[in-house]
Amino acid sequence: MNIEELERGSVVVDLEKYTYPGSPSATLKKINFKINKGEFIGVMGRTGSGKTTTLMLLNGLIPHFFEGNFDGSVIVNTMNTQRYRVQTLARFIGLVMQDPETQIFGITVEKDTSFGPSNLNYRKEKIEELVTKSLPLVGLSGFEKRITTELSGGEKQRLAIAGVLAMEPEIIVLDEPTSELDPNGRAEIYRVLSEIRRKENVTVIISGHDSEEMLDFVDKIIVLDEGEVVWQGIPHDLFKNVSLTEKYGIRPIETAEISNALCKDSVSKETEIFLHSGQLIEYLNKQLKSCSTKNEIHKETFIPKQKKTVIETIDLSFGYRKNEAALNKINLRIGKGEFVAVIGKNGAGKTTFSKHLNGLLRPTSGQVLINGRNIQSVSTSELSREVGYVFQNPDHQIFSASVREEVEYGLKNLNLTKVEIEERVNKVLKFVGLIEYQNRHPFTLGKGERQKLAFASILVMEPGILVIDEPTTGQDWDGTKRMMTMMKELHQNGHTILTITHNLRLAAEYADRIIVFSNGMVVLDGTPPEVFSQEQILESASVSSPESVKIGRSLFELGFRNDLITVNQIKEQLLENLSLINVN
Amino acid sequence: MLIDYYPSNSFIHSLDVRTKLLGFLIITVAAFVFLSPFINLLIAAITFLILLTIKTPLHKIKQVLKPLLPIFLIMLLITGFTYPAEKFQLDLNKQILFYLFPDKTLPISVGGIFYGLTLTLRILIMVLASTVVTFSTPIEDIIQLMQKMKMPYQLAFVIATGIRFVPTMQKKSEMIQEAQKARGTEFGNKGLIGNIKSYIPVLIPMIVDSIRMSENLAISMLNRGFGTYKSATNLHEIKMMKKDYAICLAELIILIAAIWANTENVGVL
Repeated sequence: MNIEELERGSVVVDLEKYTYPGSPSATLKKINFKINKGEFIGVMGRTGSGKTTTLMLLNGLIPHFFEGNFDGSVIVNTMNTQRYRVQTLARFIGLVMQDPETQIFGITVEKDTSFGPSNLNYRKEKIEELVTKSLPLVGLSGFEKRITTELSGGEKQRLAIAGVLAMEPEIIVLDEPTSELDPNGRAEIYRVLSEIRRKENVTVIISGHDSEEMLDFVDKIIVLDEGEVVWQGIPHDLFKNVSLTEKYGIRPIETAEISNALCKDSVSKETEIFLHSGQLIEYLNKQLKSCSTKNEIHKETFIPKQKKTVIETIDLSFGYRKNEAALNKINLRIGKGEFVAVIGKNGAGKTTFSKHLNGLLRPTSGQVLINGRNIQSVSTSELSREVGYVFQNPDHQIFSASVREEVEYGLKNLNLTKVEIEERVNKVLKFVGLIEYQNRHPFTLGKGERQKLAFASILVMEPGILVIDEPTTGQDWDGTKRMMTMMKELHQNGHTILTITHNLRLAAEYADRIIVFSNGMVVLDGTPPEVFSQEQILESASVSSPESVKIGRSLFELGFRNDLITVNQIKEQLLENLSLINVN
Repeated sequence: MLIDYYPSNSFIHSLDVRTKLLGFLIITVAAFVFLSPFINLLIAAITFLILLTIKTPLHKIKQVLKPLLPIFLIMLLITGFTYPAEKFQLDLNKQILFYLFPDKTLPISVGGIFYGLTLTLRILIMVLASTVVTFSTPIEDIIQLMQKMKMPYQLAFVIATGIRFVPTMQKKSEMIQEAQKARGTEFGNKGLIGNIKSYIPVLIPMIVDSIRMSENLAISMLNRGFGTYKSATNLHEIKMMKKDYAICLAELIILIAAIWANTENVGVL
């Protein structure tokens, strides 16, 4: 290919194979794509499909920082990456990575943003100009003097984007920048990028698992699977094909799933696959208008059975500092065997509340009772037999040299016999599906397996209550489904489950009770249909309803039952009433 | 320590780092020149007033001082009981208040208590004065001073980044400790060996995480063009202003006055 013909800001990747040093097999094979200046490109695919590796090709980290076996050519901004240093390429291609923490060098926002241009030895005035220009683009104007460690995750990630913008790149590459963020922070990143693309005419390439945002914002999607480009095209075509998304481990759009079910079973072949709930609702409206069914108001099916209370908080208040209440008089009772989802935006008090349940935090005033006992003076380690707390990051607890030892660790303090320990460990390893890996070193396992291991090391203590902190954050669709299935099984085995989550689909489908936190208070508490019917309160708590809930609401207006909130319920109901839809 | 920088627009904040370091030195020298606890108390009060002018929130100051309290108490007791009364110049200080044990063992003298107070106040003064410097000086200024003293940019950068990561690592270590507590680890009540052992589950994830972070950091540095040239633009050149020279002069006068006063036997015990 003739390099002169290429435009600045374009990318041409023609890679036969790339193998990391010391790796037995190739991580990337057959990566071919072309990106034009000013395009907004999404890169999707499972965890481990080669997204990060592909993106590191673009600014020369491969083959310069990670050497390995490289066969092919990558031409970015008319420059062959093999011929230039990463620092030289960095002037034209900015890379933003997943963990915002390791991308921030300055103590204040302003100083951090100036790090890039000052490395390029620009004049002081020019650097100041670049900083003043970059911060408003990511929505951080007014933050100049703020201390970087005090920013939220989303703000840190936008600062990282500002940091590369300040170097005036032709291309911005972002590797899963949203995976650790909450839904609001996530949407903000895509909005900001789309603005930057529009104003600065830079090429933007982003990888991630955010199906809805990818659909709404990017021009083209490149799908990777097992180190190969397996699909490329416009987002519309990808998400309309539900079986294709499932095949490549991409989370389907809820509306597409529902209309896909209709399509398959529908007599009328013209049924389209809709991608936005509004369109599907409009379609159903048109089809159903003619028929008149009565509102078959469905009274609540979930009657809280008189179960034994296992968690009770009485006027629980807590403040990290004086006069600042992070929790304000929380009164809750949770019965044995309930599956509770705790939702609310970041900083609403969800985690602060949960940490009181196993004594990681102690109330400033009020009481916490676990199995009827006031735990004020009970240590966390003693409580670990009653309340298991599964943290989001498995790597914060794994330290042993083998999977088996890792799981055994918690039992050492329990005065059990050798036989008992062995039995318990075997049982738990079988449950999570790690029994064949029992002698492996934990760090040779994939992320999904490490998460299972962390789960196992908590389960082995046989706690009746499980607190699970953001089980699906940072996971791809397969990982999300795996975690949801595991939680469901544990619930069926009789565990009381309390999960903190931003994943409302999980809350709607699996929980039998949802508690919404806002500003340190409980603002809603009830069954999923009850909670999701309170549109206004949810909105004031900055929780936006899943698409399926929106469809359910309009179905109710059309005469369906009032408790349709999950994709599967809606699919079922629609299929049962297919005759109505095909009436015309 | 150096990460405590607290932005504000106070007078002390606007001074050059060198003026502040000289001030720190002089306050320290003054504290060591005088033996009398009264003069030291005065110096401590002045230093504390300066600390208040830089508008640091009180709880931050409390955080610095609180862990020192037991040390102060122990110092006071030990010097109070062990300093021989005969060594004092003034008669008042030679007076023995009482003996801890019968048969005139472990006497406690007025001078002993005074001397203990002085030692405690000296440490307090040094802590307060260094707090003034660290709260009012951004790390970049200190790094620049080091560079002015011919330290290579790369090394200065590494130090600055290391300091920037202290709070991050603290947070990480807290998160790991919580995760381990939640699975039954007990910290802090098993004796020395037991305690060291119980920190292994914290240490290993910390090390693993640090390695991962340092690799990511290296990548990020390249992404931001670090190492394109041998040095980088200094955005904020440290510079001695007129007021810096004026304050430095005043500081030197105070230093000379203190030394002179000492030769005149002011503030002895």
